[in-house]
Amino acid sequence: MRRALSAIWTIARWEIARSVTSMSREILPIAIGLFILLVAVTGFASQSGVHLQDAMYTLGADSADTAAIFAGDERFAVYIADTAVLEGSRGAFDLVITGGTVSAPLTEKGRAALQALQKDYGRYEAWIFNQQDDLFAAYPLWIDTLEVKSELDFIATQSGQPVGAGLYSRRQPVPEGPVLPVAPPSATLDVSREDLRRELIAGTGADTQLSRYSDILSSADSPLGTFRTPSQLSPPLPFDSIILVFVFIFPLYFTSQFYMMSIMNERVERKGEILLSAPVEPYQIIIGKALPYLVIMLAISTILTLANGAPLIILLPLFPVILFFLANALLIAMVSRSFKELSFISIFFSTIATSYLFFPSIFANVHVISLISPLTLIVLQVQGDGFTAMEYIYSTSLFYLTSAVLFYVATVNFTEERLFSLHKLTTRIMEFIGTGISPSRPYASLFAVSLFSIPFVFMAQLMLLVLVFNLPMPLSLVLLLVAAAGIEEAAKSIGVYTLARNMPEFLTWKRTALLSAAVAAGFLVGEKALLFATLAQISDSIFGSVLFTSLQVLWLPLTLHFVGIFTTAAALKTWGPRAYLPGLIAATVLHTLYNLTFILGWI
Amino acid sequence: MAARHAGIITKKELKALYSEKTIILAILLQLFIAMFSSFLMVGLASMYDPDSVGQLSTIRYPVAYTGEESPLRGYLASRDDLRVYGMDLDQAVAALKERKLGAVIWVPGTAPDADDPIKITLYTIQNDIQTTVINVKLKEVFVDYETYLREIRAPRLDVLPVPLDIPPAETGSNFYEFVYGLLIPLLVFMPAIISSALIIDLITEEYQHDTLETLMSTPVTFTEMIWGKVLACFVLVPVQSAAWLVLLAINGIAIANPVPILLHVSAGSLVLILLGAVTALHYRDRTNAQFIFSTALVVVILFVLALPYNPVNLIVRLSVNAIGAEHWLILAGVVAFTAIASFATDRYARKIGMRIFLY
Repeated sequence: MRRALSAIWTIARWEIARSVTSMSREILPIAIGLFILLVAVTGFASQSGVHLQDAMYTLGADSADTAAIFAGDERFAVYIADTAVLEGSRGAFDLVITGGTVSAPLTEKGRAALQALQKDYGRYEAWIFNQQDDLFAAYPLWIDTLEVKSELDFIATQSGQPVGAGLYSRRQPVPEGPVLPVAPPSATLDVSREDLRRELIAGTGADTQLSRYSDILSSADSPLGTFRTPSQLSPPLPFDSIILVFVFIFPLYFTSQFYMMSIMNERVERKGEILLSAPVEPYQIIIGKALPYLVIMLAISTILTLANGAPLIILLPLFPVILFFLANALLIAMVSRSFKELSFISIFFSTIATSYLFFPSIFANVHVISLISPLTLIVLQVQGDGFTAMEYIYSTSLFYLTSAVLFYVATVNFTEERLFSLHKLTTRIMEFIGTGISPSRPYASLFAVSLFSIPFVFMAQLMLLVLVFNLPMPLSLVLLLVAAAGIEEAAKSIGVYTLARNMPEFLTWKRTALLSAAVAAGFLVGEKALLFATLAQISDSIFGSVLFTSLQVLWLPLTLHFVGIFTTAAALKTWGPRAYLPGLIAATVLHTLYNLTFILGWI
Repeated sequence: MAARHAGIITKKELKALYSEKTIILAILLQLFIAMFSSFLMVGLASMYDPDSVGQLSTIRYPVAYTGEESPLRGYLASRDDLRVYGMDLDQAVAALKERKLGAVIWVPGTAPDADDPIKITLYTIQNDIQTTVINVKLKEVFVDYETYLREIRAPRLDVLPVPLDIPPAETGSNFYEFVYGLLIPLLVFMPAIISSALIIDLITEEYQHDTLETLMSTPVTFTEMIWGKVLACFVLVPVQSAAWLVLLAINGIAIANPVPILLHVSAGSLVLILLGAVTALHYRDRTNAQFIFSTALVVVILFVLALPYNPVNLIVRLSVNAIGAEHWLILAGVVAFTAIASFATDRYARKIGMRIFLY
């Protein structure tokens, strides 16, 4: 143990020394110069503003007073002209204001321009009203929102029903359960007029082209609690969380690139041979090399958190994301043949990972599905809502599990043979999986391979759920059914496919059946274990029952998994590796039919 | 410099990209983003505006009105997407918990012209999509009621805003600005960024894999090799950007002026590719070059965005047809700048090429 730790420590020190020497000499002067430039340019950009959507809309006004209202918004190119001129050249404008009346063409652009104008006018009105002596004449109406917890919420919204029974009934709804007395709320605001005014002014802060997308990190707790004027009563714009991706995720991804290159450099021209022949284990090399970057990424996250004034607890959800990035960087560096391939695979991976993190989190204030992304926990924490331990497990467990599996796969494959071969990408991935399948114990290893594929399957399926969750109901369910079945069958068959390619003579009919049974059993065990641990909530809804076979009956899903994998395996056995795709499609069709029959009862 | 030699290198690099199938990954990646964003558009549009999804438009959301009578009740009743029930607060909140109601409103007895504000309490269901939808509808009602109350209390105001009669908002255009003002420039410029990262890989690979000497023993000179690689990266940009424009058009997003947009993207991308090439020539090591290049890229992009009439803004304006012929002037300026940058790169490559044989 002691020796292992010291070996890891040695590798980590080497790694630091290597990167520091190569970096300080070559990079440091220019990096410092660039950093100074960056600060200067940031200053310049904040001074001059970001000119991205400048002059998207053209606005014609017949009075300088109205034109002045919109002059501050760069999105409008404002022209002042006589009423007659404006009336004559209406087609040249997206918006025309004559005699205090706004008109816009009935095009998409016209409508968008009108909306932008409406928002601007609202801000202008607010600016006028905020200065009134009699604040309650300007803001006569205040809304206090109280949220009520409904026990049904998860299932009801996920099953796609717009609401419970009350929706279509003509009579006044009567509660079935006990009616608890509710104290009538107070009729007065318990906040002073000046506090309100300050809050109103703060609420109508800058509306620049960026701040429309970047308000989330600066949203401090309002001293007013839940009081709002009607115009403030709106759900937050979901794109806000995109800024979290920029602030937290990109620097982490960026740093993981250095780990990726460090591993890749060992492979270029067989440089790593010396390291492999040293008396250290592969896992010690991998961990030792990862350690400096892990520390740097944690440090960066801490600095970013403190710089944004966010609570440090958001490091907790970031940690599994860091592990996930490192694990993927490691594997990508181990499978790619050239720098080009490295770049493309890593950009591809980063896009997928970023969307997995980002897209669910835009529903942070709207739906529980958002919890599959750790970013949601950060959004919640920044908002001041916090998250529970259960929610933490729920949204991060897949990241921990997949990282662990990836690190494991990388460790067993960290050998001379794998590192320095120049096979095609797909072949290399097959080789990596093939390492996990021992010829002496094929059934046990296939059981393990399909067991370990579960976290990845869940991740892919949850991604899918987020993707189709938005669509109207029957379409989303059908898409989900087919795609989820496809993902499961692909994951189950990958081990058998590898086996069929590496040892085609191994597949007799008896062994094919036994292999299929092993895969099906492994898949079922993994699925159930993970479901119990984390996803029990989602699995109760109708989407859940499509994705993850239900928890009650066991022999039915086992049969399903067996039939699915046996279909693919039989195709492989009969026609060889070329029949993989047709076999997979056949298995997917069977799987889909099963889901349609037993879960939805459609057939 | 023999253009034929550079052309040979270009062909070789494009072939390698094709045979490695990495280009397929890049295309898959872009497709993935296009798909995801259009899914997102449909989803968010239907979430914030359920009327846009046809079947939901007949729904009337049940809302309970509790507390004292007020003109607000009339405003609520006049909506054809809300069904208002007068109820007891206890009953209503219990029904809300059972999801038999969408929201409960409690109104105090404060008079419309009182000195104090009217404080309404709104009970909603936590963490629910439907609540978001109902909130949007209730907000409209509340805003109308606020306007009504404001008119009653208007004599007490010191200054009145310049009156403006704005036609009521029509639905279905929430995402116009996001699509044209953010998504399109992002997607169209993505190939440029991919290509400029690619040139670094192509150049550093020759150094780090020690293939440079072999290459130098052929009639191809160092400078010709660099230009061949630059060209390979450059031709990919308009092809991919054009594919984007076509894809967006298929998705029903019409884009005006596609040809000028492609010209602007191509000119801009050449600047970035040359920047990548010079960085790679200087460092010869992928880690260092990519690090410096990405930092420099942030600086460049931020600086360009802070300039009025920058190429990204021009693409936004061109795509919505909101600019006249003046964009050709800026294009000419960018092209002139690329010419200078090309010249400088050429000189630098020659200098480096001379030095290779000195080692």
